[in-house]
Amino acid sequence: MISLQVQNNEPFSIDEISFLNRNDFQATVFEGLTSGYRMIGLFPINKLHPHKIISILADSDTSLVYLIGGEFPKDKLEFDSFANQFPQTNYFECELSENFGFNPINHPWLRPVRKQNIVLGNKPYQFYKLEGDEVHEVAVGPIHAGVIEPGHFRFQCHGELVYHLEINLGYQHRGVESLMLNSNAQQRIIISESIAGDSVVAHTYAHCNAIESLSNTQISLRVQMIRSIAEELERIAMHLSGLGGIANDIGFSIVSASYGRLRTIIINSLAALCGSRFGRGLFVYGGVRFDLTDEIIKQIKNNLETVKKDIASINEYLFSSTGALIRFEQTGTVTNDFASEIGLVGFAARVCGIELDARINFPYGVYRYFPVFPTILQTGDVFARTHLRTFEIDESIRFISEQFDSIPKGVIQVKMSSITANTGVISIVEGWRGEVVHVAITDNNGKISQYKIKDPSFTNWYGLNLALRETAISDFPLCNKSFDLSYSGHDL
Amino acid sequence: MELITTIKGIISLLVILGLAPVFSGLVNKLKAIFTGKIGAPILQPYYDLKRLLKKETINSGSSSFISNISPAINLVVVIIAAAILPIGFARPMISFDGDIILFAYLLGLARFFQILAAMDIGSSFEGMGAAREAAFSVFAEPIFFFTLGSIAFISGLTSIYDIYHSISLDNVSYIVFIIVCSISVFILAVSECSRMPVDDPNTHLELTMIHEVMILDNSGIDLFLYQYSSYIKLFIYAMLETSFFYPFGVKSYTVGIIIFIVVITALSMALAIVETITSRFKMKNIPQYLLFATAIGVLNLLIYTFTK
Repeated sequence: MISLQVQNNEPFSIDEISFLNRNDFQATVFEGLTSGYRMIGLFPINKLHPHKIISILADSDTSLVYLIGGEFPKDKLEFDSFANQFPQTNYFECELSENFGFNPINHPWLRPVRKQNIVLGNKPYQFYKLEGDEVHEVAVGPIHAGVIEPGHFRFQCHGELVYHLEINLGYQHRGVESLMLNSNAQQRIIISESIAGDSVVAHTYAHCNAIESLSNTQISLRVQMIRSIAEELERIAMHLSGLGGIANDIGFSIVSASYGRLRTIIINSLAALCGSRFGRGLFVYGGVRFDLTDEIIKQIKNNLETVKKDIASINEYLFSSTGALIRFEQTGTVTNDFASEIGLVGFAARVCGIELDARINFPYGVYRYFPVFPTILQTGDVFARTHLRTFEIDESIRFISEQFDSIPKGVIQVKMSSITANTGVISIVEGWRGEVVHVAITDNNGKISQYKIKDPSFTNWYGLNLALRETAISDFPLCNKSFDLSYSGHDL
Repeated sequence: MELITTIKGIISLLVILGLAPVFSGLVNKLKAIFTGKIGAPILQPYYDLKRLLKKETINSGSSSFISNISPAINLVVVIIAAAILPIGFARPMISFDGDIILFAYLLGLARFFQILAAMDIGSSFEGMGAAREAAFSVFAEPIFFFTLGSIAFISGLTSIYDIYHSISLDNVSYIVFIIVCSISVFILAVSECSRMPVDDPNTHLELTMIHEVMILDNSGIDLFLYQYSSYIKLFIYAMLETSFFYPFGVKSYTVGIIIFIVVITALSMALAIVETITSRFKMKNIPQYLLFATAIGVLNLLIYTFTK
């Protein structure tokens, strides 16, 4: 396999990538996908010259990331679609087609990713529609009854049963990837904090890792520890929020209110550290802006104790309620086969028996020395997705508590060196929802010339799609909340 | 004497119309307190109604006259139904032999127009809501006739006022009836007034709603009429429940009022507790729940037959 192998956060020179012709490119990518690698990126190496593309495949077993380059004739941007054999590439090909006019030949379902009313291939896109006397279509959104982000959902139903769900997104598209190219250092941090409001720490962590690797800046162990503590706090907070949301969706108000109360305690801990309850303003290139003093450690420790104590009884109450269990069990099931075929990531994948956690599979920062122990469940239903989140909260609390006992001394900020020219880096971080991938590539002058972000939502929305098949339409909100996906993270 | 009875009847109706929103407000307030929140003021439903009055009414372009008349019919019909129910020991405004049937089908008529209006608007949500409402009401109707109907059958009377007054505590089996009936009327109230665990009145999720989804497209006066009639409807069912407890007091007007207030408060407490500690049913399990209430009603008849 002709490819460049790198590890998470390992900078590579662009010249090292060999750009293959169309046939070799196709064969190599095909070979990689057949070996069970997962696609995490497919985009041109430079926005202005879309004929040179790279395909990034990740191998969770060896922690290696493979970069396969392909060079196409400028007037003939087309290749044979991989999506028929490997559905996980489907959405990446759609995105490539939408943004750069590539034509994936024989693509099974070429559809817009972010832009509305766009012509892909040769014909304007039509929503999938079932025909028949007793089939009816329910279209929801993009404006919803509650205060949630915009997204358009089309259900093809037979009575209350859903046969097919199509999710159309892109209403939140802000052009984050382009903004990254034209911004200065301070702006870039703020932009990455705003990619998805619920994954501030994860995205900013990935972004800082990427830029620091590009400039060969060595950050202290103390900084890495503070960053991972912030990340785990975000994980706990968002899992609590998700559990509260799930309880709310089944109308279980006392449980919902209790989880909500605990979430406040956790986000206040994050505020004690950096002044923002969502972790904004904590990260700077080369370190963190706020140090972890003994006083803050004591406060966070107390908060975690409270949460640990209370959450046990709330979990017990929720998972011993027959009413809740009837709603959760065997609702919105995604099988293991489907999950790996469509490349699910994060906790949605871990409940389908897939052992994938970037903190283990692509270790970074402090997780290289202090591993976490993710739980893997098998059933892939709402119950598993809900239950797993309680396990992950426990694990994160354990992790943070252990870190507090062994915080190394060190500076919290180092000056960042200048960014190396003609270099690229792949930065993977396990956010609470799943794997966050940032890819940064610089040009000859050391300016960032390509920046690509893959939020876990990008792949996982399709999982929700599959979960809804043969499920009652009234269970949609519950399934949706159990995946807890981001609209803005997808739309960028 | 005749005049006083009429006046009492009118006062009863006015009390129902005036107090109906406060009952919903009380349930919501208690629910908030049980979940550790401060909650909206008890009078919030009045503020909501007042706000709706000021809003513009907009109807879907594809709707016909049904959408225009349905909200008004809905409210009027529910008010007439409310006039059949007694408060305390006062004879209600409308009371005649067989009014139990009128009562049941007045509420049926209100539902009929609401379903028709929901389908008239032409949104896929509302159609879905209408289908659900119609399907579940098939299961809810037998509950009414097997509970109140069984007491009517046992007492041999067909006017709601007379039926309740025939209940005497001397007969032990009557106490059993009351307990059994109040359970199934409670289930009926939960289902008809779209409360938990059948429907979640506070949800924002349009795909899971039953009742709320039918009025999603209504606004202004129309929504005011629908909301007000749903407050009254909840209050009506609370009164049905309350009436079972009147025999526990001596037959005086004042004691009746006191029982009324105590039971209504207790009932709002019960509703709030149920809504706090239960989760919603899967949509396909709701018929089972309603059939359970019907079965309770059948049990009543069996008890009567065997103790006779």
